[in-house]
Amino acid sequence: MKNPLLILCLFLLPLLLGGCFDQKELEEQAFIVSIGVDNTNQKGVFRFTFQIANPEVGNSASGTSANEPTQEVISVLGTDFLTATNAANATVAKQISLNQSRILIVSEKLARSTDFIYLMQSAPSTVDIKLNAQLVVSKEDAEKYIRHNKPQLESRPHKYYQYMLDRAKETGIIPDAPIVRYFQITEGDADLFIAPYTTTEEENPKFGEEDHYKAGEIPVNGKNQTQFMGSAVFKEGQMIGTLTGEETRFCLMFDSTLTQKDIIASYTDPVKPEFQVAGRLEINNVDVNVNYLKDKQSTIDVYVNYSLNVYAIPSTVNYMKNTEKQRLLEKSINKQIGERADNFIKKTQEEYRAQPFYWSLHVRSKFLNIPEYEKADWMNKVYPNAKVNIHLELRGLEFGKIMRESEIKEVRD
Amino acid sequence: MFPWQKNKTEAIEKRKVRKISRNMKDNVAYIEEQYSFGVNFDFESRSLQGPAAKYHLFFYTTTVSTKQLNDDIIKPLLASKKPIPIDRIVTVSSLNSIKNMDDVEKGLNIGSVIIFQDGVAEGFEASIPDFKHRAIEKADNERTVKGPKDSFTESVTTNISMIRKKMPSKDLIVESIDVGVRPVDPVSLVYTRDLVNEKVLENIRNRIKKITVDNIRNVEVLEQFLEERPRSLFPTLLYTERPDNAANYVSEGFVVIMMDNSSSCLIAPMTIWGFFHSPEDIYLRWAFGNFSRIVRAMAYLITLFISAAYIAITNYHSQLVPIDLLLAIAASRERVPLPITFEVLLMEVAFELIREAGVRIPTPLGPTIGIVGALILGQAAVEANIVSPIVVILVALSGLSSFTAANYSINHTLRISRFLFIIAASFFGVLSLLGAITIWLTYVVSLNSFGVSYFSPATPHTKSSDGTYFRKLLKNVKWRPGYLKPKDMDKQ
Repeated sequence: MKNPLLILCLFLLPLLLGGCFDQKELEEQAFIVSIGVDNTNQKGVFRFTFQIANPEVGNSASGTSANEPTQEVISVLGTDFLTATNAANATVAKQISLNQSRILIVSEKLARSTDFIYLMQSAPSTVDIKLNAQLVVSKEDAEKYIRHNKPQLESRPHKYYQYMLDRAKETGIIPDAPIVRYFQITEGDADLFIAPYTTTEEENPKFGEEDHYKAGEIPVNGKNQTQFMGSAVFKEGQMIGTLTGEETRFCLMFDSTLTQKDIIASYTDPVKPEFQVAGRLEINNVDVNVNYLKDKQSTIDVYVNYSLNVYAIPSTVNYMKNTEKQRLLEKSINKQIGERADNFIKKTQEEYRAQPFYWSLHVRSKFLNIPEYEKADWMNKVYPNAKVNIHLELRGLEFGKIMRESEIKEVRD
Repeated sequence: MFPWQKNKTEAIEKRKVRKISRNMKDNVAYIEEQYSFGVNFDFESRSLQGPAAKYHLFFYTTTVSTKQLNDDIIKPLLASKKPIPIDRIVTVSSLNSIKNMDDVEKGLNIGSVIIFQDGVAEGFEASIPDFKHRAIEKADNERTVKGPKDSFTESVTTNISMIRKKMPSKDLIVESIDVGVRPVDPVSLVYTRDLVNEKVLENIRNRIKKITVDNIRNVEVLEQFLEERPRSLFPTLLYTERPDNAANYVSEGFVVIMMDNSSSCLIAPMTIWGFFHSPEDIYLRWAFGNFSRIVRAMAYLITLFISAAYIAITNYHSQLVPIDLLLAIAASRERVPLPITFEVLLMEVAFELIREAGVRIPTPLGPTIGIVGALILGQAAVEANIVSPIVVILVALSGLSSFTAANYSINHTLRISRFLFIIAASFFGVLSLLGAITIWLTYVVSLNSFGVSYFSPATPHTKSSDGTYFRKLLKNVKWRPGYLKPKDMDKQ
């Protein structure tokens, strides 16, 4: 304590020895917007595709060069995320930073292979990768997908993914699938994980009801063929099938951990069945009640409250003023949704023998301890044999802005 | 005691004991010699031959009112036909009898006229001071929109009169303590007798008495002698130029320290909150006052931490930044040659230069600084790719925010602390920034102002008006600040 200068020096020593240990200037980093992974012929070796954003594009600062491309896409081979970034540094001058990438695209081929779960094991231990990045499955190779995806309106590539995923999640045609959920569900070993399904290749497009598609089946004319629709189903960390947009909506509808804001869908007009009634469906509340019976068939009651805002009644049936017809419409819609939902649940019970609704959350509380729960085997024994009852309740019915439909007969006299 | 101090005290003692002589000639010769009459051009020694007696007047022509001197002293003296005592002739409100030469000196120094009568071993001091000082002007440094506009001026009598006007009460005491020796300067302590804590008052008195320096001309200098830790970044006395602010504090039990030649006063003891509260908070309606407190609180945080946080986040924690902002920052930094830390420091120093120059620059040259500052340092530096525009925004923001501080003393504290945090953040990012903040806060909490904890009433918690962060409705304010231990806690 005699020499204050010495003490000061001792204080400064750790600072000097530490020497800005983790510091990296922003302009010395290359920010990866999306990561694509494909499998190769070699087991354990993957092809990683990195889409790097060019910060100078879309910036109004003076003196920036206008002719640079918005992004650079490079593909390298590697065994896990970090080694791949290292390999990519062979061509990219800056340090590759994965911490801003919000989307991890995996080809369907890789997702269906047994290698996939091994690849994913390296994701959480890679400090850079955010666990809330979305896991997306592409129909074609991820590299091809990234190279083909050419958004027309968004000058910066990350914007496209951000808006696309956000909007598609709101409408419920694709699920919210952060990487962390993949791990939660896979390790929980009781439910199915669903991830958005996407493609840039159009394949036998056909017109159907708005959500009866999977990615690639939607007839869209335009420069960018990228489509996000439906979802890929993972069982025990491996992809086993795909769901259409409608089925994905059911998944979200019955899952109390996920939200969807507005589903615009059309249903058959009960009065004039050749027409459709289109409206916005809003789920208010989902309640799942599992009645677990040991050695007997368990029952699962799902209570869904929703409200409907009818936008289009092409049949010009006057539902607005006629409460009886409204009741008819309500019944019909409940029946339509219920039938489709029942079919879907049957499909999950028979085909997948597991459910993508995260219902294991509601059954866990029925057991005293974990060994008992594991012994009951929700995934393999309880759910596939359970009786599922869907109770739909329409809480509010509204009709757009107008109070009545045009009297087409009178117009056409 | 040092020899030179001994000499000084001896001379003073000698003056004190010298009595006024019955022989006026002796007195006149002594005083004329003492005051270098003839060399000292404004020292006047004048003899008057009245009809009844002989008088002699001493005064400084520059410090007494000539009109009063003529009308109230010289005229009556010359007119009096009978040899009656001076105190029955002179028509001045303040007239004291003096016995020794020390009183003569004191009287002359405060602008009195000293009157001797031949054959009387007694002098008279007629106080007719006319020291020149500024008129009462608007408060320039602590402006408010709503509330009184007057400010202290460089005359302590005027200043005290302003406080008396605001608090007309017999309990308002103005106590005077002398400080220094050449010359002696009086320090006035203003407090409310039935509120002030005696221990605090005694503490202040003692510290003033202990000052051994030759002279202290104003409270700005006095402040540094009174402070417990003069090297500290944190001021422990509130320096204010607003009489309403001073009066508010006095009525809470605080002590106001005043001196002549200062257009401000000191308020002691002070906690850190006093520097963040503006008198306008009380004048504004409840919602508006609290809104302005929120704005100021934000400004303090911005000025302390925004540059440091920017450095920490961009250098070490880029995953915290939304990608759009990150790309914008990266793009703007593409051509900047300096690392972020130096870029920020460069701009912060540039801002400090503008500020310092702005204070010192003569008014006619004022607009130049605006052009130089705004154009060259802002626009041109960005266009020349020396700094990125985001840094200019940040530094402007933190510089601007530092001036929302309700008190000028704390403004320096904030600005210097900011540099500490910037440097801290550049070492290990948020980790070292948080470390620096912890040490900084620990230090602040450990401070004391005249025996009062610097962070009270927040910590240690005491009963108070509960107006530390947000003020209450005035009718709900029940207590005076408990950390002062006033004689009367109850406000209602």
